[in-house]
Amino acid sequence: MADFTREEILERITKGESLERADLRGVDLSNAALEGANLRRTDLEGANLEGAKLKGANLANSSLREAYLVAADLQDANLDKADLEGANLDKANMSGAGLSRANLEGASLEGASLVRARLPYAQLDSANLGGADLTTAVISNADLVECYLGGAKIVKADLTGSNFSKANIEEADMSGALLADASLAGIYGAGAKLAGADLSKADLTGADLTKADLTGADLRRATLGNAKLKGAKLTGARVFGIVPGDTPLDGIVADWVDASAEGDGSARTTGDQIIAVMSGKAAAAAAASAAPDGAIKRYFGKGDVLRNANLEFGASAYVEIESRFEQCTIALGEGAELVVGQDGVLVDCQVTGGGNITIHGKFFEGASPGISGPKQLIVSRHGSVVGVVQQPANATHFSFEPGCKLRMRILHANNHR
Amino acid sequence: MADPKMAEAKKTLVEEGTEFRGSLVSKCPVVVSGKIDGEVHAPSLTVSTTGGVYGKVRVGEILSEGEIAGEFDAETVKLSGRVNNNTVIRTKSLEVNLSSDKGKLQVSFGDCVLEVGDEPNKAMGGGAKPPEAPKPQPPKV
Repeated sequence: MADFTREEILERITKGESLERADLRGVDLSNAALEGANLRRTDLEGANLEGAKLKGANLANSSLREAYLVAADLQDANLDKADLEGANLDKANMSGAGLSRANLEGASLEGASLVRARLPYAQLDSANLGGADLTTAVISNADLVECYLGGAKIVKADLTGSNFSKANIEEADMSGALLADASLAGIYGAGAKLAGADLSKADLTGADLTKADLTGADLRRATLGNAKLKGAKLTGARVFGIVPGDTPLDGIVADWVDASAEGDGSARTTGDQIIAVMSGKAAAAAAASAAPDGAIKRYFGKGDVLRNANLEFGASAYVEIESRFEQCTIALGEGAELVVGQDGVLVDCQVTGGGNITIHGKFFEGASPGISGPKQLIVSRHGSVVGVVQQPANATHFSFEPGCKLRMRILHANNHR
Repeated sequence: MADPKMAEAKKTLVEEGTEFRGSLVSKCPVVVSGKIDGEVHAPSLTVSTTGGVYGKVRVGEILSEGEIAGEFDAETVKLSGRVNNNTVIRTKSLEVNLSSDKGKLQVSFGDCVLEVGDEPNKAMGGGAKPPEAPKPQPPKV
């Protein structure tokens, strides 16, 4: 029997009185206005809080086992160390709520909003988070074993060091999520979006990532043991030190991967070398230093200065510049690769032709357009470009990483001269 | 500055099939699936694949998957979709990713100007360290 009736509880809250440590088991507080209430250490086991307004309430260390909280408003509420085992929180609004070390084992949070919520060290094993919104939430070092996250939105969430063993993330959007050191062993993630996610040192043993989008993901030193990657997109993924185990890699889709230890895009690997690097059959550094498709690499080293030179490179050339070029023109054959390294500076220069250009250093144009007709132009987070880019008739594929510096004018493909 | 909690809860939505002309000032994030022709001031602007924004925009954050044209000032910009002719984008941080589908353009750029981050200087490469400033010495007695 609860210590108070619904009316008594509401009266106390209206008066601003605390209900700390009260026995409120099984009480019906559906749709009650409980904003900012002090319910710390209360026992609300089995209580009906459907649609209750608990915005900013203090429920730290409370027991909400098997409580019914469907569509409750728990925005910015304090639920640290609360026991929510088996609770029903479907469609609840928990954005900005604190759930540090909370127990949500077996809880249902289908369609709930947990945007910006903080759940470090939370217990979420066997919880149902299908379709939930966990954008930018902090769920580091949490336990999510056999958790259902199908279709959930987990964009840019911090899941560092969490345990997702045998969880289901099919069709979930985890773009830009931090999953470093996380365990994703046996996870089911067909069609999941993991573009730009940090999976460095993650354990993906036995994971099913069929047709997952791992574009630009950081997989450095991740363990793939027997993972399924058929149809997975890995263009731009960082793969240095990956531990492939028995993972079949022939079904992956990738135009290039980055084999550099720093993961800064400075060792782009294409063609057959991708599988060679990822399977450990070719050392990453060796594969990266070899030009694509066996072409010879042209390298201009740090400290050198080249002035007033006209350089032409054929279609299969791979050119890397770490030097300073002044008033030079570079003509690239169709599909040639030009990489301006972090120490490379091209001043008053011009690059023409249908090559793939990656700039980690600096480019300043001389004659305009400074870059004419590139098939692809990537400016990394360290890169700077000042000048005009004239797109070819079939347009340029651009990629700009946050942190890059640009004073760039892009000319429409139809204005091709 | 908009209240982030309020911004989280409410959004100004311009639905598909709706065209708005004029000046829109909002304390809530603006989500555009229809068309806006004019000025927008808001904490953030999201343009969906069906959306289009043409005019002058000053917001904290832009996420565009639709069509944009005009002058855009924002702290951070993430682009896919289409950037039309006569567009200027000024931002501290720009993100454009390559398409994961081979051959498909993630962003189609018309004639436009991108002013992103600090003005680059010609002095040294990204990996080189600037010369160290002389360390202050204790005053001589």
